[in-house]
Amino acid sequence: MKQLIAGAALALMSLTGTAMAEDYPDRPVMMMVSYGAGGATDFQARIVTMTAGNEDALGMPIAIINKPGAGGRVGWNWFATQADNDGYTLAAYNVPHFIAQSIKGGVSYSTDSFEPIANWGADPAVFVVAKDSPFNSMADVVAYATENPGKLTFSGAGLFVGHHIAALQIEKASGVKMAYIPTKGGGAAAMKAVIAGEVLGGVNNLSDAFRAREAGNVKILGVADLERSAFLPDVPTMMEQGLDVDNSSVNFRGVMVPKGTPQEVIDRLAATVPEMFANGRVAKKMKAGGSPMHIMTREEVKEMWAQRQATLEELLQGL
Amino acid sequence: MNRSTQHIFGAGVVFLVGLWITWVSYTQQPAEAFLFPRLISSVFVVLAAWTFAKALMGRSKVGDGLNRHQIIGLVPGVLVMAIYVFWAAKTFGFYTATTVTVFILISLYDPAPHTNPRVWAKRALITACFMAVMYGLFALLLKVYTPREILF
Amino acid sequence: MEFIYYFGDVFAPMSFLLLLIGTIGGLILGATPGLSPTMAVALLIPFTFQLEATQGLILLGAAYTSTVAGGAVSAILLKIPGAPANIATTLDGHTMAQRGEGAKALQLSFLSSAVGGIFGVFLLIFLTPVLAQWALAFGPSHLFWLAILGVTVIGSLDSASVVKGLLSGCIGMWLATIGFDDIMGAQRFIFHPSLGGGINIIAALIGLFAIPQVLTMFAKGRHNKGAEVIKVQKHSIGAAIRELVSRPLALGIGTITGSIIGLIPGVGGQIAGLVAYDQTKKFSSEKEKFGKGHPEGVIAAESANNAMVGPSLVPLLTLSIPGSPTAAVLLGGLLIHGIFPGSDLFDNHPDVAWTFINSMLIGQVLMCLFGLYVAGLAARVAQVPQSVMAAIVLALSVFGAYSVQSSMGDVYVMACLGLMMYFLERFGFSAAPLVLGLILGPIAESNFIQGSMIANATDGRSAYFFGGALNMALIAVVLASIAYSVWMELRSRRHTTKEEAQA
Repeated sequence: MKQLIAGAALALMSLTGTAMAEDYPDRPVMMMVSYGAGGATDFQARIVTMTAGNEDALGMPIAIINKPGAGGRVGWNWFATQADNDGYTLAAYNVPHFIAQSIKGGVSYSTDSFEPIANWGADPAVFVVAKDSPFNSMADVVAYATENPGKLTFSGAGLFVGHHIAALQIEKASGVKMAYIPTKGGGAAAMKAVIAGEVLGGVNNLSDAFRAREAGNVKILGVADLERSAFLPDVPTMMEQGLDVDNSSVNFRGVMVPKGTPQEVIDRLAATVPEMFANGRVAKKMKAGGSPMHIMTREEVKEMWAQRQATLEELLQGL
Repeated sequence: MNRSTQHIFGAGVVFLVGLWITWVSYTQQPAEAFLFPRLISSVFVVLAAWTFAKALMGRSKVGDGLNRHQIIGLVPGVLVMAIYVFWAAKTFGFYTATTVTVFILISLYDPAPHTNPRVWAKRALITACFMAVMYGLFALLLKVYTPREILF
Repeated sequence: MEFIYYFGDVFAPMSFLLLLIGTIGGLILGATPGLSPTMAVALLIPFTFQLEATQGLILLGAAYTSTVAGGAVSAILLKIPGAPANIATTLDGHTMAQRGEGAKALQLSFLSSAVGGIFGVFLLIFLTPVLAQWALAFGPSHLFWLAILGVTVIGSLDSASVVKGLLSGCIGMWLATIGFDDIMGAQRFIFHPSLGGGINIIAALIGLFAIPQVLTMFAKGRHNKGAEVIKVQKHSIGAAIRELVSRPLALGIGTITGSIIGLIPGVGGQIAGLVAYDQTKKFSSEKEKFGKGHPEGVIAAESANNAMVGPSLVPLLTLSIPGSPTAAVLLGGLLIHGIFPGSDLFDNHPDVAWTFINSMLIGQVLMCLFGLYVAGLAARVAQVPQSVMAAIVLALSVFGAYSVQSSMGDVYVMACLGLMMYFLERFGFSAAPLVLGLILGPIAESNFIQGSMIANATDGRSAYFFGGALNMALIAVVLASIAYSVWMELRSRRHTTKEEAQA
């Protein structure tokens, strides 16, 4: 009888015991996306993790869990405060979103709450107008805003997300006041407002704007990045049009784990995940969907986060 | 408690909740974010006051309240449910906790006599079949990763 | 008529097999508590990685149509609405099942789903360009008035007392404000960490509808005196078809309301069923039977929520804007194969576009046939003893609420809301208006705030919210709806006082 109990106890311990780093992962891994199913982040997260189950990657599938709400705050708050830090709970990050929100306050996370693993994509913000709009360049937009201060309405996916940062930078660079209208329902709702003529213009993701232009619904006036995009070689950057807007609003998407995850697990992930992103099938699907890839390792991401933290603190000062 | 006292109590609780949310809505900052809660809570508190006043006058028309038999029936089930949902499910893992809970609930509310061993066997069989279906549906087909602590 | 040309593709062996899998799988997924059509489609996306674009979309299209209908199964048999679309179905459907008419309720729900669904897909096929303009016409101010129109329905929905109905609606709207406010990001009423993410609508639905039912079974106690064994009546399919044909008003109102409302981005799918139910009740000659197991309630609700499927895809397919969460997931399914919805889809990939649409059409028929086939069998669920039923529904609720976002917090919220709702129901409050408030609150709020921001930057609030033909038309409908409710209330009050005087 004693032996039986001891055996049962042993079996239980081996079942419930913490996972050792060498056999990590020995069960499916969960990845939290703080935007709704079907959004750009969700869509890309599903593609870049589709090869996770391969032997040369993690050897275990990654399941996507959506926790949308309040521009990502709901999901990241949950991740910082309630997620297990055993390496089986990953999350997608969106920079500058979560950094800007943590600077603004009212959330329980900051760059110190998370450990970056790797970056998979970079989606610049672009300025779009409806196809029948009189505006044909950023200069037209700025001219209208100068004549009608505060009356140029333009949509974006919320406050303290990449679109809002781009909007703030455009306002700052042109020195005129415009009316930024945050929409509920993410980039898709912001794009609908532009196409339906509810607003005069909008800031949106390059990937979504590219698609909307292909569908013949919008004109893209400028890219808020340092260089022109390979998807839109004919669209000039903001800088080329004389607006001092850098790449601070570029939406970097990648994977992170909560603080306190065992170092061996972080190292294992940091070594494997960028390779997983580099898989040829992933690249093909991402390209087909019009989503620009930009793979960065853990060290590069750490540097990028620190840099963004500094720029955003300066930009959001006094807001 | 008779029906009208129960109504006073029920409407009173709703009214207190109304007062509380109104107070929170009008005191919290930033004011812009509480614009809508203010609107809702104002209507809420007026309607709740009306309901409460009607209950006080003994003129609540709808709703039967609870009688003694119902309360006696409810108490064990609610206790088992509370232990299951708020503690056991996470502590023992979903499947273990659910197996135990389903078996207890079936046994508690089955009118068949408890002395008959065949009745117990039937209850165990029902529990086992149901859990097999749940495991197949959620764990195997849908691959939902529920908390697992003991066994599966 | 281009779509007929591509019909052959749907019947290719592999495609038809996928269509069958999608339909049957969709019904099962839809009937599982906690799995909304959006999640069911999202679950299937990984499978489409391996398939060709056309085949992948056949799977998704069939699954979408049948999950919406599948939600009616758990709504009728267990009183757990699978998605907001099925709330109205529980009101009469579950009462019918409890009376032993489950087979009839299920047959009617599948038949009216198919009629509504096919009508909706035909709208999508023939009127897409017109509909696209209509979908775009709804700006923030119009959506705000539409939400207010929904609020006016609250008072008359499934409650004997108008004041308590409105109060239930207020409770729902308040619950919806819990969590982070979506635009400012401010924290509101978060008094427990489980509420940090707000109240998830699916988890709330499970709690508000299923848990009170579990508790009602508990309250009957162990020796359920006088509880007779329910006889599950057999009901022939022919009789169900005759029943459906004899109630053209419910079917017509349901289908048309569903198609029109389903088209409006961001609002449609969730409230189409409830609005259609309410409208049918107002126009029906047998108003008093609604909520007590009236077939018209099931017909209206189910024809509406499936009629919405086709039109809800119009903004996606023509303008590349997903109008609903499910459409957003379908967009992902298209993008993975490098197909951009919009003119590109119909010009360069007509085979994909039309096969997808055809698969929804055939999917409706298959769903209906399969549903009718299992209806008689499924209705036997009503014979399960109360003790077993209570335990099963409780376990399903917990699993369902958890699987929405893999979150224990949602399970706690579900259970607390359920307990609260049970006691509220004892005092004459009801779940349907509360849920309607929960859905409409955020729509009204976000559109009001967004509209105000636009209005402040342009021509002022009153001009923005009261100007334009569409605004005026919506306001007129709101006023008419209120006037109608007041009139009905006064009339019924006069009747009761007369009766009281006579007594």
